[in-house]
Amino acid sequence: MSESIKLGLFTYDVKNGLGLIGYNVDEHEHAHIVVETSKCNDCSHMMCVWGCPAQCYNFRDQGLEEMKFQYEDCVECGTCYIMCDQGAVSWNHPRGGFGITYSQG
Amino acid sequence: MDDETDFDVIIIGAGFAGASTAFQLLKEGVEGDRILVVDRGEPIGSKNLTGGILWGRELDDYEEYLGNWEMDCPGIERCINHKKVGFLNNEDALFIEGRFASWDGTGGTDEPSQRSSWSVLRAKADAWMAEKMEEAGIFVMGGMKIDQLHIDGLDHDSYEARDLTDPSEDSGKGSAQKWKVDNLPKELVDKIRNGSISGIVQDGEVMTSKVVVIAEGSNSVLTRAYHFDSMLHAQSKDDMLLGVKEVIHLGKEKIDERFNCFAGDDERPPSGMAMELALSLYRDMSHDAWEKYPNTKGLYPRCGGFFYTNRDTVSCGIIVQLKSLPEGLHTYDLYQAFKAQPAIAALIEGGEAIEYGGHLCPEYGLHRMPHRFTRDGAVVVGDAAGLVFANGMQIQGMNNALHSGKLAGKAIASCIANGDVSAKALDATYTKSLKASYIFRDLKRFEPATKFLNNPANFTWVPELVGKTANRVFREIGEEKVPAEKVLRKVRKEMRAKNKANKKGMGLFSLLKLALTGRKL
Repeated sequence: MSESIKLGLFTYDVKNGLGLIGYNVDEHEHAHIVVETSKCNDCSHMMCVWGCPAQCYNFRDQGLEEMKFQYEDCVECGTCYIMCDQGAVSWNHPRGGFGITYSQG
Repeated sequence: MDDETDFDVIIIGAGFAGASTAFQLLKEGVEGDRILVVDRGEPIGSKNLTGGILWGRELDDYEEYLGNWEMDCPGIERCINHKKVGFLNNEDALFIEGRFASWDGTGGTDEPSQRSSWSVLRAKADAWMAEKMEEAGIFVMGGMKIDQLHIDGLDHDSYEARDLTDPSEDSGKGSAQKWKVDNLPKELVDKIRNGSISGIVQDGEVMTSKVVVIAEGSNSVLTRAYHFDSMLHAQSKDDMLLGVKEVIHLGKEKIDERFNCFAGDDERPPSGMAMELALSLYRDMSHDAWEKYPNTKGLYPRCGGFFYTNRDTVSCGIIVQLKSLPEGLHTYDLYQAFKAQPAIAALIEGGEAIEYGGHLCPEYGLHRMPHRFTRDGAVVVGDAAGLVFANGMQIQGMNNALHSGKLAGKAIASCIANGDVSAKALDATYTKSLKASYIFRDLKRFEPATKFLNNPANFTWVPELVGKTANRVFREIGEEKVPAEKVLRKVRKEMRAKNKANKKGMGLFSLLKLALTGRKL
């Protein structure tokens, strides 16, 4: 197999893709997802990190000591809520009019 | 009686399931100004995402409201007359292609009934449907997120909406998950879980109705919170798929040319191609990941690819079975690897990505449906009820959403006319007709598909074996020709020898088992 198509070496900046989406970001106090990051320290699998298609969760995969979560880029799919079995993720839809705005869908 | 409640029916979610319910209610004689449809998107449709192909002509049932939806709805993109199934490994791609003149084929047919599937972009389609609902006299409100349902005799201030989604302090792991709401007084919890639903609460304001229809879509907070689906299900990554897709702009001419599409005319929509792919792209990525995260060693992500042509864009994406996702692999990287596969890269060459997105898709099958579809004064329809059919080659949710909406509309109208909207009455009409409908019959018939799909072979060595075999069969290298069967055996032998992990998995017995489940598809 030639090196050029060895897909294991893939690195991609997903934030480029996210730049294409329209958002109307709500204030912090109304964040639709709240993560109790203290619970993440005991988590052995970080499945939210691997599942999230928008890289909202950054942790040991990025060399961080602590879970760093940001809701702003969330595409509201709900994957993290399903993947987390530590009871750390509280998930609600954003307030009406806020969050992601798909124009194609 | 009409004055007792603000509306006859409140529908949460203006997607296909919600819109279908609303239109059917109109058809049954419910006045438009007695129907309220709320959606959290502003504009409506802006929260929705599909792969996506709409199957069937269910929208024809609402012709009086939608008119010539095939030509007029901006989100109904191309009529699919051209279907491809593919097997991809890192290097090879084998496609099986069907072009069907009778499906509005090469030159286009004048017979609309032959056009039975469309590529769809939901943000545009839903916005248009919402317009049509308003034109038909239905109240439609966008930008409204519903926090709580109104329950008879329950003060909505006695619990927070957040209680319904926040894990409780003593939350266990996995299936033992508990919720803040579990810590409330038992009487209150019983009311929340089993009380009679009679409206919605938004920003502390109550709007009442005889029946509430939950058409929230796959990530349905309300279905979980109000215990249509058990909390156990809500926390499980089993039978949930994540779709990651991009909409890539290529321009209409380029698409017509590259995919051999009929350009469309004044009376007929343009035709298009739909492609579904079995992927074994992730071997190298998985092996890298296992080294760093040995916890999930041996696990390959089970992914399917899809590729659909829209009017001037293409929808290109993957579907990931969440339970099969190994540690160490980001879903967005899986998607990028798919895009970089040479056969896919060639199809999107020169294109510009204009939107990226992700969406959940339930793949419950019959064994993991919500345990109830109705409560006193409420029903759940569409994706929120998990009414999605998946057999590996296709995922059908939108037609099921439309159909369940239609059945709900009929049932609710008759229950309201009879003055009984209890769970029992709704079950006797809605749930009964749903279980007798093609949705459930399909799900039942394709139960073996779940087994087939859960076989990791389909996502690891089978596409590779098929691709490699085709590679050798199709190539002329000046050697003696051998029958395809012999090539297949040889490739299998080579693959087994090369990769120890395959050795057991690629045994004849497991091939036979796979074939036995596969033939039932």
